Amino acid sequence: MEKTYTEKIQIHKKNKLAGLYPSVKALVVLLYAICCFILSTVKLTEYELALLLIPWFLVIPVLCAASGAFNKCLKAFRAVSIVALVIFLAQSLLIPGGETVLKLGFLKVREQGLRTAITLSFMVMDIAGIFVWMFQTTENKEFSRALENSGMNYKATYVFISTLQMIEILGKNSKTIMNAQRARGVETEGNVIVRMKAFFPSLVPLVLGAVISSEERVLTLEARGFDVACEKTHLFNLEKSGIEKQVTFIAVLITIVLLVWRIYLWIA
Amino acid sequence: MEKKHSIKDDFNMLALLIIPVAVAVNFVGGQLASLLKLPMYLDTIGTIFAGMLCGPWVGAVAGGLTNVVTGIANPVNFAFIPVNIIAGLVVGGLAVHNMFENWWKAFISTIIMAVISIIVSAPIVVLVFGGVTGGGTSLITAAAMAAGANIWAAFFGTEGIFTVLDRIISCVISYLVIKVIPPRTLVKFRCGSCYIKK
Repeated sequence: MEKTYTEKIQIHKKNKLAGLYPSVKALVVLLYAICCFILSTVKLTEYELALLLIPWFLVIPVLCAASGAFNKCLKAFRAVSIVALVIFLAQSLLIPGGETVLKLGFLKVREQGLRTAITLSFMVMDIAGIFVWMFQTTENKEFSRALENSGMNYKATYVFISTLQMIEILGKNSKTIMNAQRARGVETEGNVIVRMKAFFPSLVPLVLGAVISSEERVLTLEARGFDVACEKTHLFNLEKSGIEKQVTFIAVLITIVLLVWRIYLWIA
Repeated sequence: MEKKHSIKDDFNMLALLIIPVAVAVNFVGGQLASLLKLPMYLDTIGTIFAGMLCGPWVGAVAGGLTNVVTGIANPVNFAFIPVNIIAGLVVGGLAVHNMFENWWKAFISTIIMAVISIIVSAPIVVLVFGGVTGGGTSLITAAAMAAGANIWAAFFGTEGIFTVLDRIISCVISYLVIKVIPPRTLVKFRCGSCYIKK
């Protein structure tokens, strides 16, 4: 039997972790970040390094793999790890202070530098990583629906969704305009000034076109009763995967255990 | 007839639809800049555009949403949400007070914007990322730090110049676009009437 349109746009996920309700995922992200801060206060070894952030990071690949989105996450993760790497190198090599831990030719890794390097770079890796997990396992449609369910104005969620579509549309348009301008003789290669000059004729028509078309879109939306104050009908409905309670319980439990352990370390 | 202005009036339908455009322009502008291998980010054009046309609140929303959306792909951007929000607020505030009327006022506004955005981004870059974020200008900052400069001084020195340049170009582009928008469309925006030739 042919599926109707409303059936086609529904999202059914087989994986229970990936199919978690978005607000539960947000809670997991929040608690994970809190745990990061707790762990970063634990100093190990004679140089007082926050080494516990490194094993804590392993949670993310496990989580991604368990959600069946490992490859997807890996892609998004490359950008994050480059930033973390740059931070690590810059901090460990450049910050003076304390004893020299390691000597590499003319470069010296100092105690203080190493300390901030590990804390900062793994903090960025951890917190950015958990966000990667959340966004790679959740579709934008699900986010906006969940936001609306939690009481957000439908206009705000519309702006969110149409932003994502607009990026795609304008991205395509910009390529078209660039090619058209190139065909008309605008040089896009050469020294900085030549390239700079190519920037204006590519961007101005793009923005102008988008503004004019949004004027038309206002008319379309108003004609369809977007502004009318009444109950809205939703074509897309969110599903719960059924393990929301268990996941929430585990996440809260881990956070509490870590917190208690940390306080115990302070007292003892 | 003077009517008291409320924030809700700012978010009319057209402004709501300009926000996605502004975010997408930020995004595409940044892409285009890297495609043309320009030594700048140019990723606030949309925010400036929205602020100049629709006032501070729409500008702020456009700015904040930009970093939320780019944060989906690279969560490092979440840390810079305040920078973009304040950029939108400042441009919008300046536009409401007719600070883009003529070129010297626009120039002063641009400098104000650049200064404020450096002041806002400095603590984030220094405290969250330790002064280096992996962008193109980071290398210079890193070199200055290695030469023994104070982390704050290194950041303000290098990032300052680039931000001012970046903002000037972004403002010029937004201004050029606004200039070619027909007046019948411009009047529908909150600050649009300032840009119509009388």
